[in-house]
Amino acid sequence: MSSEPIERRVSYLGDRLKASQCQCCGKEYFEIRDYCSNCGRKSYGKMSSVDLFYDKGKLELCTFINEPTNKFSKLANFVYGIVSFHDGKIRVPARLTDQLICGGDEVDLSSLEGREVIPRFRRRYSVGKSEVVPTISLAFTLADEYYPHQEYKIIEPTKEYELPGIVGYGAYASRFRIKEGGIERAVPFIDEDAVTAAVEAGKLALIHSGLDSAWIGKVYVGSESNPYAVKPIASKVAQVLKLGEEEGDVQGVDAVDTEFACKAAASMFKDACALVSYPRSGIKYAMVTGADNSQAAPRGCPGGELDAFVGYGGASFIYGKHDVIAEMEGWYSCTSDTPDFWRRDGEQYPMHGGRFTGDPAYFKHVRKSATKLMERLNVKASDLNYFVPHQPNPTFPVRIAKELGFKDEQYLPAIQINKFGNTYSGCALVGLAAVLDVAKPDERILVASYGSGAGSDAYMLRTTSQLLDKRKRQKINVKFQADNPFAEYVDYTTYRRLKTGM
Amino acid sequence: MQNRPAIVAVGRTKFGEHYGKEPEKLIEEAWLAASNECSIERKDLQACYMSDCFLPITNKLGLEEGFLSELTELHVPMEVTRSFSAALLTACHAIQAGVYERVLVGGIEKMTDRWDKIRDDLMLLDDPWSYYAGGTPESNHELMLRAYIKKHHITGENLDKLNMALAEVTVKNHANATKNKYAQYQRKITIEQVLSARKAEHKPLGLYDFAPISDGASALILTSEAVAKKKTDSAIPVLAIGAATDYLNYPAREDLSHFVAAELAMKNASQMSKITPSDLQIIEVYDQSTVMEMIALEDMGFCKPGTAWQSIHGCQNCYDIGGKPLYVNTDGGLKANGNPLGATGGAQIFEIYRQLRSEAGERQVHIGTDAPKHGGVLEFEGFGTKAYVTILGEQKNE
Repeated sequence: MSSEPIERRVSYLGDRLKASQCQCCGKEYFEIRDYCSNCGRKSYGKMSSVDLFYDKGKLELCTFINEPTNKFSKLANFVYGIVSFHDGKIRVPARLTDQLICGGDEVDLSSLEGREVIPRFRRRYSVGKSEVVPTISLAFTLADEYYPHQEYKIIEPTKEYELPGIVGYGAYASRFRIKEGGIERAVPFIDEDAVTAAVEAGKLALIHSGLDSAWIGKVYVGSESNPYAVKPIASKVAQVLKLGEEEGDVQGVDAVDTEFACKAAASMFKDACALVSYPRSGIKYAMVTGADNSQAAPRGCPGGELDAFVGYGGASFIYGKHDVIAEMEGWYSCTSDTPDFWRRDGEQYPMHGGRFTGDPAYFKHVRKSATKLMERLNVKASDLNYFVPHQPNPTFPVRIAKELGFKDEQYLPAIQINKFGNTYSGCALVGLAAVLDVAKPDERILVASYGSGAGSDAYMLRTTSQLLDKRKRQKINVKFQADNPFAEYVDYTTYRRLKTGM
Repeated sequence: MQNRPAIVAVGRTKFGEHYGKEPEKLIEEAWLAASNECSIERKDLQACYMSDCFLPITNKLGLEEGFLSELTELHVPMEVTRSFSAALLTACHAIQAGVYERVLVGGIEKMTDRWDKIRDDLMLLDDPWSYYAGGTPESNHELMLRAYIKKHHITGENLDKLNMALAEVTVKNHANATKNKYAQYQRKITIEQVLSARKAEHKPLGLYDFAPISDGASALILTSEAVAKKKTDSAIPVLAIGAATDYLNYPAREDLSHFVAAELAMKNASQMSKITPSDLQIIEVYDQSTVMEMIALEDMGFCKPGTAWQSIHGCQNCYDIGGKPLYVNTDGGLKANGNPLGATGGAQIFEIYRQLRSEAGERQVHIGTDAPKHGGVLEFEGFGTKAYVTILGEQKNE
């Protein structure tokens, strides 16, 4: 049994890479210090905090580890070394992640040393199934590969809109892919899970929005692959991303996990909009994140038919009324108790493929919500620019889009299942992110989520001119990740191993 | 000097895997060996200083002092430290202060009992943050080697020579251990074996570059020089123990290419004893890796920074330090003699004691026709976090 207090202290510092600097002599420390060892008592109260989370470092020295300590044995082979920040003022131990190194591979250490690296929030190592999942950001990836460095610059909003809407977003998919049956799907690295994807998506959304994370008053995280049956993902997201005003080691934010199969996150768009619109809420911005390491039993086992489509990743949307890039014009939700996909408590994988898959579930609910919303807003498919359906497989979204009267150019930009797989709670959100990546100002987007069990939420969004201004801030958009030359393809066995995780 | 401490007897067990023995049995064996060497009995002992690095963790033991009390049926003051040198330092202080005249210093470690998790424990002791980032007990040695190569701009042919020198370190240590009946590995290895182990694993350092994990115990009896003179003609005075400390967190240290603590400990010991590196003909260094042996030569002042590999390369059983021979790790070093952490320093002292008294048998070093006059021991705790340098031998005539 591990110690929760030790775990809490290590992840509190290590997840965010909290550091401090002496205002007297400039010396920096990787940890929170009340005073400087150089300056002694005169530096009391003169230590400022330094945040390495959005920074980039340099891999100074490295070596190859092929016989790790017990808790790292699932990583088998990896590069370990020392990363420096701020020209060597801070040096930390570091593990290079997102590198699949086979037993016989030779690693050219000198080709890695000197390169820029980015801290990534990951699982730290393996522990027993009943223990708290340890995390850390002393995992790094090379900045000149899949995930480049992006600056997190806080920009004061200038314009208030009448309607609430999206003020920033980010979509995250891992570096690894499996290519099968004509589609590509994202595969998590072995130290990734739903929690790390939720943090990545939220981090990208903050960078895109330019908002100070302290201004976020609420965070919803929707997932169906939370590593815990009981314990929120949202608390980790809030702590790592420092959402809300920070007081001591507590964040002044309301953080909550939501669950409704694949619409767990999409369902909360309207709640976020309502919350930021209610004048007495005191909340100016709310973050909605959907992320999954989509679960599927291995092929040939019950529920194994999902294994051909499941992906990994997520997306995060920040709602507010200032500097909006897409205003929320309306929504419609519908629900019925239709069990087409479920996972009983304690079971490892969901069940699926029964009597209700398809017509009585996905099509009925998506059709209903989309049609009702268009009726309510008095628009036809042809009046809209984009349609974003939930994408459980490559055929369903196309069939419903055509049935509702949408043309290829209206729905194809949203279809990402062929690139990342079904990212469950993140799926419709990644589709929406892909559309926002290419949309022009004053365009209308219809989103129709779907959650098994069953229900659908339809939303109507209208883009604003600020969409284009903010686009420049996000290098790591959906297309960048889909067409990334550093994406690495793995075989089925490796895919299952990586997906099972540490 | 008044109350100068001197060693009057030493004892040790074989190092290696003692799966059939309780830790108590090992320390008993070492203590009995030491007590048989001189006429000091249990009842004469006024205090015991024992070292073990993590016996309570590996063997689920509580107060080690308690089992030492049971073993010796002694109720004198006892203290536990984490390295033999630290125990010896404390014992020396007590004797110098005039508190005691006859004390036992012992060291013990039982590492192979927890083969399953010993590397995790060792790494956590080195530095938790490095452990959390995935570091292994070996990785810091390799990072230090890379830092050393970079800092001193060693490339091309020189780099090949350096790598060869490191291989020569371990080959020499294994050869020395064949003459040491207590050593863990009493067999010769070849340069080719060292190089091919590195190559097979695609790593800067390979299997033969690292010391093993071991079980073992060591002990010595320390008295004031006045008492020693009554017991033996050839007690070995402890001229100085210098100690220094550095950060736990290796990556955060100022200079990654050597051990500041070792450098400072040597300076302190030199100052106290008036013995300079050029006075030492024989040393025992803490070669947890071949890199550590090489860098020790620089930190202890035998070679200039960045040059020790030149003194090592091409030498057979002793190094060439500016034309003078320097014998290093004649017992096989940590690499071949073994490295039961808490007992390791005791074995190092054991070797220098035997050599200075001309009792090292086949391993005996001769300077001209004589035994060496002065010897030094470098011991670490952690990866250079604590360093101790002990100087043994007769006071130099001013």
